[in-house]
Amino acid sequence: MRSEAVLALLGDLDAGELAAWIERGWVQPETGEAGWEFLEIDVARVRLIHDLRRHMDVAEDTVPLVLSLLDQVYELRARLRDVLATVDRQSPEIRAALRGS
Amino acid sequence: MAATDPYQILGVKKTATEAELRTAYRKLAKQHHPDLNPGKPEAAERFKRISVAYELLSDKEKRARFDRGEIDAEGNERAPERPFYRDYAEAAAGGGQRRYSAGGGGMSPDDLEEILAQAFGHARRGAGGGPGFDLRGADVRYTLTIDFLDAANGVTRRITLPDGRTLDVRIPAGVHDGHVLRLRGQGEPGIGSGPAGDALVEVSIAPHPYFVREGDDIIVTLPVTIQEAVLGASLEVPTIGGKVRLAIPPNSGTGTRLRLRGRGIGGKGHQYVDLRVVLPPAEEPALAEFLRSWTPAQTFNPRDGMEGT
Repeated sequence: MRSEAVLALLGDLDAGELAAWIERGWVQPETGEAGWEFLEIDVARVRLIHDLRRHMDVAEDTVPLVLSLLDQVYELRARLRDVLATVDRQSPEIRAALRGS
Repeated sequence: MAATDPYQILGVKKTATEAELRTAYRKLAKQHHPDLNPGKPEAAERFKRISVAYELLSDKEKRARFDRGEIDAEGNERAPERPFYRDYAEAAAGGGQRRYSAGGGGMSPDDLEEILAQAFGHARRGAGGGPGFDLRGADVRYTLTIDFLDAANGVTRRITLPDGRTLDVRIPAGVHDGHVLRLRGQGEPGIGSGPAGDALVEVSIAPHPYFVREGDDIIVTLPVTIQEAVLGASLEVPTIGGKVRLAIPPNSGTGTRLRLRGRGIGGKGHQYVDLRVVLPPAEEPALAEFLRSWTPAQTFNPRDGMEGT
């Protein structure tokens, strides 16, 4: 999706503010031939930052802290899911032993 | 029922280019933006449809799928349920679409693996060493300080591990300060039939008294006498591969840079020799006498161009 379409989704976000978010690395769209190219995850992240700033009144210099913590949580959740999937593939005895520990 | 075909909504042909789409979208968006049409309640709906149509057509992949009839405009025409970041973040962190990682100060996958290895190591012991739970061993980190010349030319160093084993580490020529060598399978043993972890050796390069490295190039400052600088000379110069002879052209001065081609790291870089003229260590009455009576052929001021001179 293009910047224009992202900005159209969020009425009160202007190109300058979005560019500032990108410049700070909060959002990392790809660079296409005609400017930024936002994947779905990028759009969702823009909306998240938008909510943080507009609806939750999170101060601008606090946003990186929030994003960093969220990123760590999601990374941990993904890892934990991998581990659980691995455990799930083990034999019943091993699973029982892990549960009982 | 209003038009549902995104091409009709934007008023463009099926063959419209991306630029034409953008122009049409911008024009309509300006025309129908609800904030610019406070008296027209239907503008919000219209604007939404325009945005949705543009969203579909500006996405090459979606547009192609729509053109092939794989998706219809109807499904996309209703403003889709808002997707939240969490719908993507976890899958992305697990190697999906793309990951936003916490970056500096965050965690590396290795950290997590160590934590998990420990957790499961204890869990196994707690369970009385139950049958074959396999987990890869933890990585072990070492720091190895090596000489400047060893880093430039490559070297094999033997390190002794805490458990008494020794390990021959081959340092490739041209290694950078802070480079981490991964020695597969030389870390902590695995649990069960899990493979051993890796040894991670961080290379720290000690500075050299006169060689300085810039990328693949080596810089040396070479002191020369007044005679050598004025009259020229053929001098022996140290390089990382041993001494070589370098011709100093007459009338060289402090700051003159000479190049020894291919004498840098791995034959790729060069060695640059910066000359520095050094005066005799003690008084030279004959030289002073000569300079007093000497009239230069050309007068010049070396401070030309400096402010206030």
